[in-house]
Amino acid sequence: MTMSDWSRVTRPIPVPNEWTKPFWEAASRGVLALQRCQGCGHFQHPPYATCVNCMAIDLAFEPVSGQGAIYAYTIMYHAGDRRFAAAIPYASIIVELDDAPGALLAGNLLEAPYTEAQVGRRVEVVFEPLNDDITLPQFRLAHDAK
Amino acid sequence: MWEHRCKVAVSGVGFSRVTRSAEIPLAAHALEAVKGAVEDSGLAMSDIDGLATYPELPATGHAVVDGVTIVSVNCMMAMLKLPNLSWHVQVETVNIGGAVQQAVNALLAGVCRYAVVWRAMHNPRGTYQNLPGTYAQGAAQFTAPYGFGGPGQGMAVAYTRWLERHHQSREKMATLAVTQRRHSHMNPHAYFYKVPLTREDYLNSRMVAYPFCLYDCDIPVQGAVAIVLTTADRARDLRPRPAYIAGYGQRLAFEVAGRIGSLSSYMEGGRSSSRLTWERSGFSPRDVDVAQIYDGFSASVIYGLESYGFCKEGEALDFIQDGRMELDGELPLNTFGGSLGTGRIHGLWHIIEGALQASGRAGERQVKDVNVSFAGASAPIVQGTTFIFVKEPY
Repeated sequence: MTMSDWSRVTRPIPVPNEWTKPFWEAASRGVLALQRCQGCGHFQHPPYATCVNCMAIDLAFEPVSGQGAIYAYTIMYHAGDRRFAAAIPYASIIVELDDAPGALLAGNLLEAPYTEAQVGRRVEVVFEPLNDDITLPQFRLAHDAK
Repeated sequence: MWEHRCKVAVSGVGFSRVTRSAEIPLAAHALEAVKGAVEDSGLAMSDIDGLATYPELPATGHAVVDGVTIVSVNCMMAMLKLPNLSWHVQVETVNIGGAVQQAVNALLAGVCRYAVVWRAMHNPRGTYQNLPGTYAQGAAQFTAPYGFGGPGQGMAVAYTRWLERHHQSREKMATLAVTQRRHSHMNPHAYFYKVPLTREDYLNSRMVAYPFCLYDCDIPVQGAVAIVLTTADRARDLRPRPAYIAGYGQRLAFEVAGRIGSLSSYMEGGRSSSRLTWERSGFSPRDVDVAQIYDGFSASVIYGLESYGFCKEGEALDFIQDGRMELDGELPLNTFGGSLGTGRIHGLWHIIEGALQASGRAGERQVKDVNVSFAGASAPIVQGTTFIFVKEPY
């Protein structure tokens, strides 16, 4: 009953740009890769022109494990965006990855009732293809959390 | 302490009618508010020689039409044709509080004598936030595909983190909503003037973006408010008692665009702005007699109370209980009803109420024996500014 129905949702399709292209290319291969400073080792997300920790410009995308915890979440009840109306209520979550403290990724909580969203809950990445070019990183409860 | 403390004051204030949606062009609202503020000061329009605003339309996906959906400095210049105009500015990195601060700076620099600052807010017909279309560009590429839309959800995620990390319950926020609504019943300009709201209404209201229910969100309206600022010596010769500006600050931290949900960045925004304000004025939170804290979404008050130093982190929802935020409480809060009571006019109304309370001009809702009056305009993270107004210069 409390599972959100995503089958009739048309998600906006991300448009990669010069900073974000490697993120989406990795995701289409089923790999979660985040921007990392090659000087100080700091991971950051969303991608940016410089390292926001040390100002270096030598940045590269590196794979991360996709294991993390729910940093914060909201349950959406309002159909402000009509394309998401069929899924209401649904959980939009913010995830902090174990490998990249401080880098916060948005997602939905898939394969579980939205009532399972809780701050600190362990999650893992899954991949949701939108079209031939774009695959969305998403999250589900981690096996060790069930 | 700031050498320029109490050298500039708020004099007159003005309000337009506030309606749910546009019945007349927004420029007419702005003109009504500006005329009201100038008249309240006892000045002639030709005395005004400085203009400042923050004209942004917060509703996304709607056309920006000057005079209809925003009121820019250019629009105001065209309407007023001020013969003595000598200075004007529009701000960007902070909300309307930044326009007030720039006017203070211009008055201190002597480049104008009587400045008017207004904030005009439009409520478009139809959906307030027209979200990205088929494609999500820029920062939205990491949020819109997951159903993250307007600012409410961005605020809501930080609020769940706050609630669950501090083992708090959202039901306690009913006190804020109900008390502010009661305060708005003493503010005839407010959209919800004399419209009752009970604790039961709050607890039974529909959820918008958990933990926010309908009454955690300010209602979009069409309206404008305005103030006249001038130097302290000139202000003393005008009709209203001056509210002296003892100090101000602005948020000094910015996270990468598109990063959402970070509770720590709300706190850093508020801490940086208030630290400047306390240092410049020489006051501390315990000296404050009355406070206005931005409440476009109710949780902003939590981040404000905690990051400005009125209470410890995790304690704000307990702090507002037991009558503490009432007009006769320990810290009377959002005494004009807040944005939850007036409708969405952004932070200039918080600044106005801060000034009115300091000058003893708040009428039926005047808090007794006010000297130090605090205003936090805009959410601390986004575009926050903070102010101290005092009755007595020092």
